[in-house]
Amino acid sequence: MNEPESSHDIYSESYTQRIWRLFQADSFARNGLRTVIVLFAIAALAPFLANSHAIIRVADGRVSFPIFPTLEAIEWRFLLYVPLAGMIYLLRKVIFRRPLACLLILAGVIAGIEIALALTHPVNDPTNDRDRAATFKLMPPIPYSPIESTPDQFVGPSWKHLCGTDSTGRDIAARLLHGARTSLAIGFIAQSIALLVGVSLGGLAGYYRGWFDIGVCRFIEIMDCFPPLLLILAIMGLSPSQNNMFYIMAVIGLTSWTGLARLVRGEFLRLSSLAFPQAARALGAGDSRVIIRHLLPNALGPILVSATFGVASAILLESSLSFLGFGMQAPTPSWGDILSDARRYIDFAWWLAFFPGIAILITLVSYNFVGEGLRDAVDPRLKVK
Amino acid sequence: MTTYIFRRVLLLIPTLFGITLLTFLLIRYSPGNAALLKGGGGESGGKAMTAEVREQMIKLYDLDKPPLTAYALWLGKSLRLNLGDSVVDHRPVARKIGERLPLTMSLAGSALALSYLIAIPLGIAAALRRGQPLDRAISFVVFVLYSIPTFAAALLLILLVAGGDYLNLLPMYGASSINASDMGPFAWLWDRVLHMILPVVCLTYASLASISRYSRVSMLEALGQDFVRTARAKGLPERLVIFRHALRNALIPIITIFALEMPALIGGAVILESIFSLPGMGQLMFQSIDARDTPVIMGITVLAAIVTLLSYLAADILYVVVDPRISYE
Amino acid sequence: MSTPLLHVENLAIQFGPPDDPVKAVDGISFGMSAGETLAVVGESGSGKSVTALALTRLLASPPARYVSGRIEFEGRDVLQLPESELRALRGKQIAYIFQEPGSSLNPVFTIGYQIREAIELHRPEVRDVTAEIVSALDRVGIREPAKRLNDYPHQLSGGMQQRVMIAMALACQPKLLVADEPTTALDVTIQKQIMDLLKELKRTSNMAIILITHNFGLVADFADRVAVMFRGKIVETGATAEILRNPQHAYTRALIECVPKLGQKQHRLKVIDYAGIT
Repeated sequence: MNEPESSHDIYSESYTQRIWRLFQADSFARNGLRTVIVLFAIAALAPFLANSHAIIRVADGRVSFPIFPTLEAIEWRFLLYVPLAGMIYLLRKVIFRRPLACLLILAGVIAGIEIALALTHPVNDPTNDRDRAATFKLMPPIPYSPIESTPDQFVGPSWKHLCGTDSTGRDIAARLLHGARTSLAIGFIAQSIALLVGVSLGGLAGYYRGWFDIGVCRFIEIMDCFPPLLLILAIMGLSPSQNNMFYIMAVIGLTSWTGLARLVRGEFLRLSSLAFPQAARALGAGDSRVIIRHLLPNALGPILVSATFGVASAILLESSLSFLGFGMQAPTPSWGDILSDARRYIDFAWWLAFFPGIAILITLVSYNFVGEGLRDAVDPRLKVK
Repeated sequence: MTTYIFRRVLLLIPTLFGITLLTFLLIRYSPGNAALLKGGGGESGGKAMTAEVREQMIKLYDLDKPPLTAYALWLGKSLRLNLGDSVVDHRPVARKIGERLPLTMSLAGSALALSYLIAIPLGIAAALRRGQPLDRAISFVVFVLYSIPTFAAALLLILLVAGGDYLNLLPMYGASSINASDMGPFAWLWDRVLHMILPVVCLTYASLASISRYSRVSMLEALGQDFVRTARAKGLPERLVIFRHALRNALIPIITIFALEMPALIGGAVILESIFSLPGMGQLMFQSIDARDTPVIMGITVLAAIVTLLSYLAADILYVVVDPRISYE
Repeated sequence: MSTPLLHVENLAIQFGPPDDPVKAVDGISFGMSAGETLAVVGESGSGKSVTALALTRLLASPPARYVSGRIEFEGRDVLQLPESELRALRGKQIAYIFQEPGSSLNPVFTIGYQIREAIELHRPEVRDVTAEIVSALDRVGIREPAKRLNDYPHQLSGGMQQRVMIAMALACQPKLLVADEPTTALDVTIQKQIMDLLKELKRTSNMAIILITHNFGLVADFADRVAVMFRGKIVETGATAEILRNPQHAYTRALIECVPKLGQKQHRLKVIDYAGIT
């Protein structure tokens, strides 16, 4: 009999490690995850990838950074806090040794950031740096802003405009990059809302059962009878016109939670029939402790799988809504919106359909691969390899 | 059998209540209409409601009465299929929808039938050649298809196959050509079919993924059962073992899954009707949203939910018919 | 001595990767004559079911690998037979009954249909198939067989399902019946009924029977000969009475001692000590 290598004994790995290992083994899932990470990076860095302002500009003997005043406060927060969190993670051992000092430093840093943000105001400067002469300028890769109109309307893909322009001369590549933000943000947050609602309702129903369970099940049944797109359209149709991202997120989230609720309820019912929740209660654990510390972690696998597919479907819903004219509208960049433009001009502006279509396809495929990979990795029926 | 159906129908009633209640709550408490109740005029930054429309709405949905009464009235009306009159042209909502329903249903129905026809053999082939290149290829293709949004595929197909610079095989929009009334009956039928091909294809490919995958799993499960071993031990040729014993069992769950596809198909039909300018329920929905024709909007929503509910019922009954183990309990 | 009905020579079957195989059957040899009853006894994992299924190549060939050996039935090596002849062998010459009768019968076909399938396949000369089915059901002790024809398997009790399996196996008048743990999934009282039925069949027909079991208790007044399997090998074989009286191998002894005996005061049930067995 072969001895397992001691460096990674697959018989003594944790649940998370096991899922990760099985996930990595699937090449589709691996590459899907890489693509998703790239997409997130693009969404996060969009202002630096497509902007009409230069990153660095040297003119008249002075150095300036024209791009930064145009960033919103939330951009700054993102750009500053994410690396900060990263540093905290990397230095966690140091922090652990001197918690108080580090906490004070952290508080100081955060205070400093917030004060600086409060004092500065974003400047919406429409003049672009492309045309302005300078001794040296470092432009973002796509030197166009997603909302700036140029006189070059309906230009096909070219060196100047990599993906062409639309009816008002806006650069499609820029809109694609910024559109990634819209899609991912809406997809993610909408799914988070669905996650919150679904896991809560489903979990409580599966745990307490009785009348509450019956009620929740009925509710789920009823909601499932409505075709989701139709329901969202009805809600949007009854609401005043919204170009509000949060409204759309809320609507999508509140109509997509039933799958998760069913799943969590099923898992909780199944888990409750095993011995360990009873054991926990016998040791004196209260309901919330049993649910949060014992039941939820065990149900986490299927929840993650469902959530991943849910993000994909939320992105799809958002694109569909924008396409139909109910989601994010111009000038906010959204892939669906570009596609709705494409509908009108499909005869001659094929690039309006092609590029956003490819973008959506790649995004959805990647998420679906990740979801599939997760599903296989989490499947309890697979034996230890 | 009839008692079983009767009992299942009875069980539907609470859900029916729920559907009408939910739509009622939407009517009454959605942001746009809430403004109405406050007696205000149009909403800020959006399309304002005229006074006439507002009055109509209040009358139609009894928005001036207390919630319970209003719900009771709404329930009574909707169960008698009196969904009110359209704000736009004052025709009964039910009739307006009724005109559009056949097209949408035939679109969804054809897509469902077609996707079953293609997906089941695909799934079974994948199951029989498990792990081999064919299985992987089918899984991959089906997977990618699943990820293509309906409207993107529609646009792509229009670009390539209908009008436009490339092939010009199929019509780009509408349910019939303009000169349809001049055609003889066969030509008219053929014309309609041509118009429906692209929308049906777009609706079909999306369902292919789930049905074929389900077929594959179901077939694999059936093949792993003991009775397959018994059939082989009896000396039956492999062909019969697979296609008589295993398949018959595998088909049972596959057949009933169609109910789950209904909501997705109706939703997809809505998008496609918009792209292809087909005069179905979806197009009516958009027109009504544009015109703020709330009675029609809610009428379509309720009706779509009821259609889905009926398809769940049909699936349940079918299940009992097809599986001898399920008795009429 | 008559020519042996079945002769297995040095059979070896493996699973898993060739460089690290699981040796399910590790070189076994045994034989049977017509009309004889052989019991193959062993615990789970000893390789007895694998052996049973191998007799008509019912083991799915990946993942199983027939590494070596011969299985000669009436002189012909089953492992070398072409497909068509193998199918003629199955059901007609060698028939099976399995452990879980409930899942071994197809739930969507009536029992009458399933038996009919077997008869029509192997005995096309039979004119009145229905009568044949009815008599088969009658022979295994099913009451009102004509009414039972249109029943589905789930409508029958476990014992009756197993009787149906036996009837289906017998319908083609096979020369060898392989019973793979036919009573393990049944209640003790039903167990006795089925064993009685099998004894009856043994008495009234010239059919050879292989009984696979882990329960030595069933073996005593049923089998003519016993083969004891342990970890893929046959550790002992011989006439039943002889083995029971005088078990040679440590494992055989341990197995026999495991059977609890009524009337004997036992404080603990005997457990097999594997360390003491080679």
